[in-house]
Amino acid sequence: MNNLATKMFLVLTIIGAVSGGILAGVFHVADPLIQANREKELKEAIFVVLPEAKDYKVLEKEVDKEKITVYKGIDAEGKPVGLAFIADGGGFQGNIRIMVGLNIDYLKLKGIRVLEQNETPGLGNRIKEPQFEDQFKGLEIKPKVEYIKYRKPEKPNQIQAITGATISSDAVVKNINNAVAKVLKNFPQEEVLK
Amino acid sequence: MADNNQNLWHEFKKGLWQDIPPFRLVLGTCPTLAVTNSVINGIAMGLATLFVLLCSNITVSAVRKIVPGQVRIAAYVVIIAMYVTVADMYLAAEYPPISKALGPYVPLIVVNCIILGRAEAFAQKNPIVPSIMDALGMGIGFTMSLTVMGIIRELFGFGSILDIKLLGSWFEPWIVMILPGGAFLVFGFLVALVNYISRKKAETVCH
Amino acid sequence: MDEKAQEKVSEKPVQEKSIEKLVVSSSPHFLRDENIPKIMHTVVLALLPAMAASVYFFGLRAIGLIVISVAACLMTEYIVQKIREKPVTIWDGSAIITGILLALTLPPSFPYYGAALGSVFAIGIGKQLFGGIGYNIFNPALLGRAFLQATYPVLITTWSEPLSKAAKAGVDAVTAATPLALMKFEGKMTSHLDLFFGNVAGSMGETSAIAILIGGLYLRYRGYINWKMPLGYLGSMAFFGGVFWLINPAKYPDPLFHILAGGAMLGAWFMVTDMVTSPVTPLGQWIFAVGAGFLAILIRLFGGLPEGVMYSILLMNAFVPLLNKHTRPKFFGEDIKA
Repeated sequence: MNNLATKMFLVLTIIGAVSGGILAGVFHVADPLIQANREKELKEAIFVVLPEAKDYKVLEKEVDKEKITVYKGIDAEGKPVGLAFIADGGGFQGNIRIMVGLNIDYLKLKGIRVLEQNETPGLGNRIKEPQFEDQFKGLEIKPKVEYIKYRKPEKPNQIQAITGATISSDAVVKNINNAVAKVLKNFPQEEVLK
Repeated sequence: MADNNQNLWHEFKKGLWQDIPPFRLVLGTCPTLAVTNSVINGIAMGLATLFVLLCSNITVSAVRKIVPGQVRIAAYVVIIAMYVTVADMYLAAEYPPISKALGPYVPLIVVNCIILGRAEAFAQKNPIVPSIMDALGMGIGFTMSLTVMGIIRELFGFGSILDIKLLGSWFEPWIVMILPGGAFLVFGFLVALVNYISRKKAETVCH
Repeated sequence: MDEKAQEKVSEKPVQEKSIEKLVVSSSPHFLRDENIPKIMHTVVLALLPAMAASVYFFGLRAIGLIVISVAACLMTEYIVQKIREKPVTIWDGSAIITGILLALTLPPSFPYYGAALGSVFAIGIGKQLFGGIGYNIFNPALLGRAFLQATYPVLITTWSEPLSKAAKAGVDAVTAATPLALMKFEGKMTSHLDLFFGNVAGSMGETSAIAILIGGLYLRYRGYINWKMPLGYLGSMAFFGGVFWLINPAKYPDPLFHILAGGAMLGAWFMVTDMVTSPVTPLGQWIFAVGAGFLAILIRLFGGLPEGVMYSILLMNAFVPLLNKHTRPKFFGEDIKA
């Protein structure tokens, strides 16, 4: 009996140790690649929403135990061109993650890029189409971003919602407004320009 | 020797039709339904499962005589989980878009009944070579099933196969096909079709 | 071997089955000169006003959609029954009704091929796959509509103004929002009079409450439907809609709006009352109708979609076997605990 218990213990330990060893080895090789992929994706998104940027700096702040990260885009001469940050929030189904580019004048958006979404194919997921995303280029953020239905936008802070996908369009606008408000509050312009 | 070869051929062949995992055994239906909205996802998922199945069958078969029966499930789960994690990390490192599209379903291979099922039902009782044949047959059968699901769903849902537009602009895509509902519909029809053909075959043999 | 044995067992009841001969019900028994074709053709007659209204408001295209849907339903039924080697019963009228009801729930601008696809699904999968008339769990027309909703989500929410309003605007086809969508997304009310007569954008056979009401009352007059279900459904919608209206009249529409707008009328008179997919016991029928009305309001006010009639009825359809089982009247002397 004792013999069997020892055997069970030994076999499981060996299997666990060998598996752990193999995993550690694979992780050692794969992890840098995975990190590089993530960074590349982030970089691409930042440069899409801040087209003039050639490089970026990470600014972080902790507010109410929540970490807020913004990426300050810098052009070839080292001048700041704008801020990029992630707007994360609920959509029609699941989360919508958007990279938002804010002009350094703090008045207009430079562009957005939808990173992740699970909206209805053919309907809500048209938020990631250029026709929708491009509407945010040069959009005024004050007093806040709004959407309008069935008609062309009338005010400089309006976009046209996707017909039949009001909820998804609404979610995008809401998430952007929330994220912009948070950034405006925590990263004042003077501080960023320094 | 000829008899032996025939046996090996049988172990391989059974996974392709007679015991084809999702349609005849109704095992592994979660990935079959969840990731087959495009052909490439289906193939990637199938191959990842094939890899894990092959490795785990070999390992389980190799250690079958030293693992005490009481802890065999625990031991198998550790082995399977290790290979799944390797597959997951490999996909994330080399094919990030596919890894993103498959999402949580690659880590979930660990609970795929096919893998533990084959370890328990086959690999722990058989030598390594038949276990390899068994894993190859089952894995290829599973990959084929997922690919067929992917072909039907991508063709009707996007009008394309492997991102190549096959149906012209006259075709209005059936969005339902890439939604979960379409997965269940296609799965139901394929199970019915496979059962129908098998039954017809059995009848002709009997008469 | 096992499969063979099972097949034999399952074949037996099919041979012995005879719906007409085996009637189980409590006494007293009356023999009536009723059969499926007669009932079904009366229902078709009762749908005539709604069809006429759809043509009046949305033009000749409505006829096209109805004809295509009915033809596709009949053809699917014929083909499936031939394949299953069952007697062909396409002229019993049930497939015609499914076709008409499906067409009436579509937007007037819906493409013909879409209507045909929905019909094939409704009859092929919604009805024949379950075993044909009397065996289907879900209302076939609504199932076809639900399939189209998931298949062509854009086309099925592209509405056009009725002809009279479009003519005023001076264009052929104007895309517009339905009264329910106007309410949900923009908080705009539509006049009750327009809703009552049907001069609004919407599914072509659902807009005119009066036309459906005439047909429904005729069916009631002929005794083919009982009061419980339409009343339970509309009453429950009005009640629960009214509760929210009283809580916040500025945000939620009034009860009359709920029962006049969207598919409430058509659903109440022609879909909730479907003999095959509704419970047989009186208590079950009440629960079914009231539950469906509650769900419809829930979806309309708090769901993602502006209209909830279709899903409310389909969801309650799924509960019918359960309702039939648990609301069966006890016979005299039966142990209450049993």
